[in-house]
Amino acid sequence: MLVNSYSKRVFNLAYQFAGSYQEAEDLTQDIFLKLYGALKRYDFEKNFTAWLLTLAKNHLIDTYRKTRWEKAHRDEFDEQFPAPEAAHGPESGLIEEADRKLVWEGLNRLAPETRMAVILRDIQDKSYEEVAEILDLPLGTVKSRINRGRLQLAKILKERQEGRLQ
Amino acid sequence: MTCERIEELLSAFLEGRLGQAERERVESHLAGCPDCADLLSVLGRARKALAGFPELEVSPGLQARLAAIPERKKKFSFSFDFLLKPSLQPVFAAGAVFMTLLSFYLFNPDKKTIDRAIDQKIHSGYSQVEKLYAKAGSFTDRLGDTAENVVVSVKNWKIFGGNEDEPYKE
Repeated sequence: MLVNSYSKRVFNLAYQFAGSYQEAEDLTQDIFLKLYGALKRYDFEKNFTAWLLTLAKNHLIDTYRKTRWEKAHRDEFDEQFPAPEAAHGPESGLIEEADRKLVWEGLNRLAPETRMAVILRDIQDKSYEEVAEILDLPLGTVKSRINRGRLQLAKILKERQEGRLQ
Repeated sequence: MTCERIEELLSAFLEGRLGQAERERVESHLAGCPDCADLLSVLGRARKALAGFPELEVSPGLQARLAAIPERKKKFSFSFDFLLKPSLQPVFAAGAVFMTLLSFYLFNPDKKTIDRAIDQKIHSGYSQVEKLYAKAGSFTDRLGDTAENVVVSVKNWKIFGGNEDEPYKE
């Protein structure tokens, strides 16, 4: 069944993109409504997961452009993500946790297309080719967009870190 | 290599996607540029942080709402999808043009002038039709006469037992 196989993937993509749990639930529901309407247009020669994620991506970016969700910040990181066990001792665990919080907030500062590319590659662990297929962009554009997004996040991380040290 | 160029290559460097020559050039730049070396280290941390976001489970409430969608769709299966058929597009376009013209007529401040002009047009059109009808009538008469003449001359041919030299009589 479609819902059992794909709901988690779509919900997580919506949550990572929107940053709000409630918003992600609404968006997931909208995406599945669209999916059932669009199924008759699905070309069986295409990869279904990529096709579904393209539909989800289009809906997420369109909704973002229309509403911008009228808020500038994302859910508090700790609300949904429990602190994982530190792999290399408590201190490095704390640093990693702080990095995750900063990067989570920093995602909101990326342009929607860049944010989507970074999420697909670095959080959802898709290959560059898969990201290019989902975003319907040339491979080179995807690579440079992801590099740009990562650099922006790294600079945010650096800024915040320096601000904290001063 | 400039720092800007290095920035463009940092992701590829981290993921080991550079050729040997380019990798060595990046490494040599990083060895002499603490800013770029620092950026590379923070970039690695950012990637690690992104990879560390756990997957969330879908709440039972959402799962139930999603599972109910196909049933809801069936219940409201009488949709207006047929209105989106491409074959109806010319009809909608014609309807839109008609409604525009109608609204232009109905809400025009000079409606009376337009009414009068339309009235005149209708009357002149009607008289044109009458004239045409009269012309058509006389044309039919003439056609009838010609047809009769043709029949009489054919009857007068020798092969039909007539006399071709005899003068034409009606």
